[in-house]
Amino acid sequence: MPVMLPTVIRNLFGGPATRMYPVQVREPFEGARGHIEFNDDNCILCGNCARQCPAAAIEINKEKNELVFYPARCIICFVCAEACKKDAVIAANKWRTPYYTKPVEVHVAKGKKEKAKKE
Amino acid sequence: MAPRTVAPFGPQHPVLPEPIQLKITYEDEKVVNVVPALGYGHRGIEKACEINDYPKNIHLCERICGICSCIHGISYCEVVERLWPMEIPPRAKYLRTIWSEMSRTHSHLLWLGLLADALGFESMFMQFWRIREKVLDLLEMTTGTRVTHSVSVVGGVRRDINDEQKKICIRTLQEVRKEAEALINVLATDPTVKARTVGKGVLTKEQAIMLGNNGPHLRASGVKEDCRMEGMQAYGELGFEPIVETDGDCYARTLVRARETLQAIDLQLEAFSKMPEGEIYVRPKGSPPANEAVFRSEQPRGECFYYAKGNGTRNLERLRVRTPTFANIPSLLVMLPGSELADVPVIVLSIDPCISCTER
Amino acid sequence: MIENLKEISKDTLLQEVQKFADAKARFVTTVCSDLGDKLEVTYFFNYSPGMDMVALRMVVGKDEEVPSISGIYLTAVLSENEMFEQFGLKVKDMAIDFGGLMFLAKDSPVKPMVKDNAAGGKGGE
Repeated sequence: MPVMLPTVIRNLFGGPATRMYPVQVREPFEGARGHIEFNDDNCILCGNCARQCPAAAIEINKEKNELVFYPARCIICFVCAEACKKDAVIAANKWRTPYYTKPVEVHVAKGKKEKAKKE
Repeated sequence: MAPRTVAPFGPQHPVLPEPIQLKITYEDEKVVNVVPALGYGHRGIEKACEINDYPKNIHLCERICGICSCIHGISYCEVVERLWPMEIPPRAKYLRTIWSEMSRTHSHLLWLGLLADALGFESMFMQFWRIREKVLDLLEMTTGTRVTHSVSVVGGVRRDINDEQKKICIRTLQEVRKEAEALINVLATDPTVKARTVGKGVLTKEQAIMLGNNGPHLRASGVKEDCRMEGMQAYGELGFEPIVETDGDCYARTLVRARETLQAIDLQLEAFSKMPEGEIYVRPKGSPPANEAVFRSEQPRGECFYYAKGNGTRNLERLRVRTPTFANIPSLLVMLPGSELADVPVIVLSIDPCISCTER
Repeated sequence: MIENLKEISKDTLLQEVQKFADAKARFVTTVCSDLGDKLEVTYFFNYSPGMDMVALRMVVGKDEEVPSISGIYLTAVLSENEMFEQFGLKVKDMAIDFGGLMFLAKDSPVKPMVKDNAAGGKGGE
């Protein structure tokens, strides 16, 4: 019994060990893995992110010039953010909020420059 | 003859982290027979690893278990690197060692809290998990998440620890060591804890070896065996000695795991001071050649065995994972008969069961 | 490459395993792979205390029967049940026989790890 006394006294006068969530929210760390966002202006539809995604959450459609992203399949591993050479995939550190139905995001890629016409 | 009752232990029980069923036959409070029933968490991960390319399997292998996920990812990378075989830079080896020992610290603190909860000592359970939160904050700061870190790749690691993070880690680890030592002192000297764990579930040295035990379960019976003695990653350069007890009962297993927690914190502080500078990633050349490789690593729960076979393409031909609890469960079939009804949760928890690792 | 590998046949399996039991070696695991028309089974043992590992390998056809070593090492019973239900390797006289229902259920795919059985489906949804 006397062995536990310092811990007991420290807990009695120390205050609660938990915080009042959702009134008090902890700020996430700097490199924390939160969610993925896409920057439409930089994407050139090279397909690096879709090939390396372990969960098959990104699909590239070259005819319609668009990129389809399924957030419900994403495991937030950030392999796509490291594979993209044009900085079109943004790694954010805030955790995503819950949703009732599984969303599907469609992005139109605007990064490709027109090739100069040969004379 | 006294009347016999058959009572199920599980699949849901407050003491078990994951579901397993043991059908126990009692004769008036003494256990007579045990029959296990598995299969509540089988997901077919070994088959799924043959479909993906080899870099994508790291994320699959980590999700075999939630508590010991860091070392599963690191072991997969080590066994695939042995197919070429290729060497990784020294700074990457030290970083992998630091994250493995951090994972071992938080897993053993979790187990010590569960043991206190199984005995009914709930205040101790909350105090241990309160200290564990500080270690999980360190893991989130350095790798990005609290569990399923996926911080290692074939050829090195993905992230580095800079100087400011290193100072915060060292300061937090020293606080955690002081608080954990005070609580372990309470747990090891309390007469109620001793009355419920000393002399329960005894296994002698010969029985432990023939039943295939490994990890702290084997070291508590007097056998000096630890996978880290092979000197892989950075363990050869840090001063490492396995911790052994000789009694073979539940109290000896508690002491082994408690001392390993403090030893893990000391190993991390030593690795931080000896870490060399340099690069952290080396690109592998081509696809894994047609070869076989075996790697054994020391998980918090025991010895984890990885076998990989490549065939020259980007897919692996075969990946086999044998986790420590897979080999520790048959020892329950020998320890439980002869014990009493109230000792069954303590004995089942003393092997540190991780059933999602067993069933993959 | 695997060091200390020894090739045996299924008739000499029990004698070789008895030699390991007399030397007080610890059983580690078994690994089974599908070679197309044959199955290759490897047994791993470890000399305790210490880290020396030794392997025994045998190649059997898909319809042959293999003797069980759970009479000598009780701990092999989970590995042998798993080889029976995932690959279809017939093992005689196991100490505890789950009858193919240890990990799989009655309506699961039969012998899932064999190479011709494709595992399909996209992850996620």
